[in-house]
Amino acid sequence: MITLTELTKDFGTTLAVNKLNLKVGAGEIYGFIGPNGAGKTTTIRMMGGIIAPSSGKIIIGGYDMSQNPVAAKQIIGFVPDRPFLYEKLTGMEFLRFCADVYHVPQNIFFVKAEGLLKQFALWNWADELIEAYSHGMKQRLILASALLHDPRVLIIDEPMVGLDPEAVHMVKDILKTLASKNTAIFISTHTLSIAEDLCHRIGLIHKGTLLAEGSLDDLKKFAKLGEARLEEVFLTIIKENTFI
Amino acid sequence: MNTVLDLLKPRLLSASNALLRSNKKNSFARIAMFGFLGVIFWTGVFIIFYKVLNYFQSVQDFGTILAMKLLSMIIMIFFMLLLFSNIINFLTHLYLSQDLPLLHALPISAGEIFTSRWLISLFDSSWMIFTFSMPFFLSYGIIYKADLLYYVAFLSVMIFMCMMASSISGMLVLFGAKILPAGRIRTILIMLGVLMVIVLVLILRLTRPEQLVNPDTFATVVTYLNSMQMPSSPLLPTTWITDAIKAGLNHQNKVLALNLALTASFSLMLIFINSLLAEKYYFSGFSKSQTTAKRLFYPLKSNNSSWEDFLNGLPRDAKAFAVKEIRTFFRDSSQWPQLFLMGALVAIYLYNFSVLPLDQSPIKTVYLQNLFSFLNIALASSVLAAVAARFVFPAVSMEGQAFWIVQAAPVSISHFLWIKFFLYYLPLLFLAEILIVISNVFLQVSSFMMILSALTLFLLVPAIVGMAVGLGAIYADFKSENATQVVTGFGGLLFMILSFSLIGAVIVLEAGPVYAILMAHLRGHKIAQIQIIWAIISFIMVFLLCALATFYPMHLGKKSLLPHQ
Repeated sequence: MITLTELTKDFGTTLAVNKLNLKVGAGEIYGFIGPNGAGKTTTIRMMGGIIAPSSGKIIIGGYDMSQNPVAAKQIIGFVPDRPFLYEKLTGMEFLRFCADVYHVPQNIFFVKAEGLLKQFALWNWADELIEAYSHGMKQRLILASALLHDPRVLIIDEPMVGLDPEAVHMVKDILKTLASKNTAIFISTHTLSIAEDLCHRIGLIHKGTLLAEGSLDDLKKFAKLGEARLEEVFLTIIKENTFI
Repeated sequence: MNTVLDLLKPRLLSASNALLRSNKKNSFARIAMFGFLGVIFWTGVFIIFYKVLNYFQSVQDFGTILAMKLLSMIIMIFFMLLLFSNIINFLTHLYLSQDLPLLHALPISAGEIFTSRWLISLFDSSWMIFTFSMPFFLSYGIIYKADLLYYVAFLSVMIFMCMMASSISGMLVLFGAKILPAGRIRTILIMLGVLMVIVLVLILRLTRPEQLVNPDTFATVVTYLNSMQMPSSPLLPTTWITDAIKAGLNHQNKVLALNLALTASFSLMLIFINSLLAEKYYFSGFSKSQTTAKRLFYPLKSNNSSWEDFLNGLPRDAKAFAVKEIRTFFRDSSQWPQLFLMGALVAIYLYNFSVLPLDQSPIKTVYLQNLFSFLNIALASSVLAAVAARFVFPAVSMEGQAFWIVQAAPVSISHFLWIKFFLYYLPLLFLAEILIVISNVFLQVSSFMMILSALTLFLLVPAIVGMAVGLGAIYADFKSENATQVVTGFGGLLFMILSFSLIGAVIVLEAGPVYAILMAHLRGHKIAQIQIIWAIISFIMVFLLCALATFYPMHLGKKSLLPHQ
């Protein structure tokens, strides 16, 4: 569902992403981990069609993001790391806006919106302006809006930032359920326990380069560690700065 | 005091970093352009006041009285401008800035934060008024052959006036934030907007400018002179400021010293009281402003119909953006005063046409009516350009940090920009046509001029809106705390220059053939074939120019918003 080929982003002074190649299949949860400034958000923003790559290709569900961005975006649910929203709309109005833009059928909108708002514990706030929401509530609303059109690909930058433990647990469950229904999920995070709990495969990026990729067991082997937590694997690979 | 200076450092460092670390060539070009325009405006103000005062001097007996009346009027206007500018700046700097939570978490007193913000507001609100008051006072100094003491006097009283206005504004804002319910701080802005309109109208009426040029309305010269010399209240600070400057002009050193002392002591006393009040009340007001903003109005629930139904004919995504845009616009209370002001300006515009004394003119009325109607096209278009600058130019920037939603949505940037275009095009076309048709009705113009005016505006509106949306996209600032202020930047200036150039070009293209047609009509002559060809070529050029101004900036705007390589 997601194919990145030789993806590069050069900001002139910084090579943020360097010839990145990876694939995420349907029903797979792919964790993208790395230290601050590694190139995770830049990669995510390129995949969401927010910034263009300097070179390389992004194929989402068979659509080339540079050739057919509108069709590619139609099947993506995108969640950025910071919850900037239209503050003067209510939660329900924002969902209506998303439904219209993503062409969610009118007859099922309200049922879906109500279900999602209840699922994310926002139903009582549905008619309040978003400017009155807390950071965590905004994050939950963005997650709800990203799921409204049943995306085939979910791209999430730091999914758990600002969420309380209950919401974290709920989001994990939702992501697992979506994956079981064949949604490809790409998660960028530096919360290693999330990647460890959720992801089928993990890619480790450092200074714009993918250093290692595979299941947690693969990474342990790669780092030549036996029974170790992802944190130790992460620190070992980053320290050695070894290429795949 | 050291803490206050420390608190000013982020502002100073940000300014210097913006200047030194940004694209140097670009920032130099901007500074040069703004500087050049500033110098032209400054010189223009000086020349106008110098000529006016020179003319007053040539009028025996009345000259000095008129000059002094003008002086007191201008000082009153400066003071009111300073007051409002300070209130707006205070609200932003004291209660709405994003860095305030961080500042209040630091181990410093609320009084120190207030003082640092007071200094920033004082500077932000005053520098422009202070700079552009210079040519005004300079022209007085030259005409009245004032000595050095006058220049020292006016510089001092201007500084004290700025401090005074800033302190009074500070007190008003502290008081407002204290008494209003939590989260309603922006309500002050709405009240201010309405208040500003009322005060402006009151100032205009109270100064009775029409009487300055029409002594006929007075029974005798004595009553006229008496009314002009009517002293202002000695309790008003503006009276001391005016008297100090007058004394400086007339070499009355004792009077100057007295009024300067009054002004200085009063402004220093206000600063002292202000700091006491701030220490006591600022934090509680700030704390209130941080709580959840409750909605001023809740929508009336109706199961049957909604205003959104009027947009049902639009494609679904276009309707979604239209609904979002309209809701966001009308729920942003900072937009409301601007709407009131716009309404007042339109009313004044139309009122002026309704009271034009066309029948008293020595020039042939039909000619004058049509001339006015032609000039009215330029005037109405200029009003339109100003409205577009305020409301349409910031439209893309208004997306703010939520612009990622548009970027990530399955909607092309071109589609997004054209939705914005049509959202503003329709109401502005309605406004423009209303302005031109009603004013033409007041002018009782010929049907040819009526059609010409309506048609020209019909072509100019999309061009102005296209330039506003396109240039607004090129110069979009999604990180600005107040997106409506983007129009005060380089892009806004460029938009105004290009709009006025376009209006000028259209007027120039139309003027020749229209004059020829009108004169032929007035003299009862037949229109020559060459004149018809001339008219057709001119109107085709107007059409092409407007089409270019509509589509090209939109194209550039789209290119600039697309993800770059």
